[in-house]
Amino acid sequence: MSVANNKDVIICEGVKKWFGDFQALKGVNATVKEQEVVVVIGPSGSGKSTFIRCINRLEAHQEGTIIVDGIELTNDVRNIDKIRSEVGMVFQQFNLFPHLTILDNIALAPLWVRKQPRGEVEEEAMALLERVGIPEQADKFPGQLSGGQQQRVAIARALAMKPKIMLFDEPTSALDPEMIKEVLDVMKELARSGMTMIVVTHEMGFAREVADRVLFFDYGLVVEEGTPDHFFENPQHDRTKLFLSQIL
Amino acid sequence: MVLLFFKILGGEASKNFARSDISFGFGWLGDPPGFSIREGIDLQPNSGIRALAVGGLNTLRVAFSGIVAATLLGTVIGVARLSKNFIVSKLASFYIETIRNVPLLLQMFFWQVLLQSRSSLTEESVGTKLFDVSNKGIASTWVFPSTGFWPWLLIMIGGYYLARKVARTRRKYQEDTGEDGHPGLFGFLTILGVAIVGWFVHPLLSFLSILWDGIGNLIGAVPAASVSLLIAGLAVAVAAIWIKRFLDTKRTPAGLGKLTDDDIFRMIFAGVSALVIVWIAFKVGGAIINKPDGTDASVAAVLRDGLANIFYWFGDKFTGEAGSPLAISRPVVEVRGTGGFIQYGTTGILATVAFASVWIAVTLYTAAFIAEIIRGGILAVAKGQTEASQALGLRRSQYLRLIVLPQAFRIILPPLGNQYLNLAKNTSLGTALAFGEIVAVGSTLMNQTGQSLPIVLVWMAFYLTLSLSLSGVVNYYNRRMALVER
Ligand SMILES: Nc1ncnc2c1ncn2[C@@H]1O[C@H](COP(=O)(O)OP(=O)(O)OP(=O)(O)O)[C@@H](O)[C@H]1O
Ligand SMILES: [Mg+2]
Repeated sequence: MSVANNKDVIICEGVKKWFGDFQALKGVNATVKEQEVVVVIGPSGSGKSTFIRCINRLEAHQEGTIIVDGIELTNDVRNIDKIRSEVGMVFQQFNLFPHLTILDNIALAPLWVRKQPRGEVEEEAMALLERVGIPEQADKFPGQLSGGQQQRVAIARALAMKPKIMLFDEPTSALDPEMIKEVLDVMKELARSGMTMIVVTHEMGFAREVADRVLFFDYGLVVEEGTPDHFFENPQHDRTKLFLSQIL
Repeated sequence: MVLLFFKILGGEASKNFARSDISFGFGWLGDPPGFSIREGIDLQPNSGIRALAVGGLNTLRVAFSGIVAATLLGTVIGVARLSKNFIVSKLASFYIETIRNVPLLLQMFFWQVLLQSRSSLTEESVGTKLFDVSNKGIASTWVFPSTGFWPWLLIMIGGYYLARKVARTRRKYQEDTGEDGHPGLFGFLTILGVAIVGWFVHPLLSFLSILWDGIGNLIGAVPAASVSLLIAGLAVAVAAIWIKRFLDTKRTPAGLGKLTDDDIFRMIFAGVSALVIVWIAFKVGGAIINKPDGTDASVAAVLRDGLANIFYWFGDKFTGEAGSPLAISRPVVEVRGTGGFIQYGTTGILATVAFASVWIAVTLYTAAFIAEIIRGGILAVAKGQTEASQALGLRRSQYLRLIVLPQAFRIILPPLGNQYLNLAKNTSLGTALAFGEIVAVGSTLMNQTGQSLPIVLVWMAFYLTLSLSLSGVVNYYNRRMALVER
């Protein structure tokens, strides 16, 4: 399966971001093609989270351009709303709504943002729970589920908005080892189904198996990028080599 | 141990009472107290119980108006402290730090001195006002219930439920069709419509006066002894149900779980409390007092007749007379009596210097604590909740209402309830300002009758009832919130 000829859905050019005096992104250039799975790796504090949070405007970049599916991210609220309904996000800490049932967690955004009828929304929510493998948990509350199950609900919740693009920020880092696989399996299935994905992760096995491309971040810049083969077998930069030697 | 302690204490007390020749009893409840109270529903109460009722009502008045005001002010300041505007948030912090670190009694004195140093009423100030502050207190325009207020209120309660139903139908419509149903707007319009229609048709409810009088007659016909019996039975039943529910929570599929000493103590405490209430119900309820009209009656009978009178009074309000249920009343400054005293008249609402000082002080003081609770509650809702909502495309107003506030409210509620209890108890400091609340009235009664123990008992019963009612309301909401969680 090659995505080389697909059109670009995310285009970042010279993206810069400051937190006060501290510059977290120093001019990031990156493009993501339709149906492409891009894995982002890099040392802690290198700006990986900041980068993907800029893509759905949880953080606002100060210089450069970000274009998502033909819409440029500016301060225009309508553009932000449009992009957020096309970009789903999964967080390290799940961030499920603890006071709502699993079903209501998933149904909330379709009901209030897409204003879909409830019957339809609940049917789709059940189908999504089926897809992530936990339909029997629909009426429970998040606190009653294991970490792996919660993260799968979080994926279903994001999918309920029928996004074109999914962002994952270290989705398995808060999980016990025995639960990592169940979440990765869901993500692999999603990748195979043709979803465009940007995944920040330390799971190198996942990167090798699923990624079309790997971006290596350091000090707020994309230092190296390439296919998993290139990246793991034949890295060019000293910093990439150092990083890989530390984690592999 | 504890029981032994109380036994010795009780023994000593009764010995001392015997020695000092003071009889322990409740006869003074019916005797004229021989003093007047500066403010309240009755300035010249003709019995001890009436004097205490006036004091109790004064306490309730300042406590409830204080709770409402402190909640509003505290919320505003709490949110202001979270403001991104540097000056606003610094001002809010300054307020909180200053107010919390000055003793409350001192703050009461401060407001009293400030108000007393205002100029007195003079010939020039005679006239109708909107709002006026002088060394006689604070007078303000106020809205009072007027002709047909109670029937109108009844209609409004019906309107409230109707509005809820309408809003729910509109919400369902929105969920079923996906079109905007404007549930809030429809609910508001419903209640507005009911209010306007009710304003004119309330005389039609006059037939209900028969119902209220009937209930009053029914209550009045109950034998006095059964009032004590009812209270006692209620106490026992509540304790029994509580213990059963408590045991149910400890029950696992495998049988009753192991009970800790604390669990057992709680159950014993519930049982003993019920027995104490039973004892008080019969002991106090059976006590004979001399009513102002010269006849004797038991306390239970007086309570029963009081309850019946509430219904008679309510029945009297359903006259069928047409008119506006609310009336705006403006304060006047007038020359009263032959001595040329310049005074506030009886219109509008007047807070005496004592009332205003206590009210302002407890409000400002408690608001500082409430502000911190509100701020903490909002901060405690993790940032991730907002981010997840934003990532899903929810708008700010939507996620505040659907995600942040429900969670913040759950965190805020229990400590907020504590502040309400503190405020209610703190009003007793008003004694020092000669504010006629229940402690002040009780102290005066104590001096007059020498009946210290019974009056202390009345105080305790009053504050206990107040605290339990407040925490009952808070617990009710707390449980409703908590149920959603599990
Ligand atoms: N809200 C913020 N305010 C100030 N500094 C921030 C903020 N968010 C991130 N930073 C800083 O920006 C830098 C990049 O942070 P970022 O979270 O993007 O790193 P990361 O690559 O995701 O690291 P990790 O692997 O630890 O998650 C860090 O040095 C961090 O301290
Ligand atoms: Mg990160």
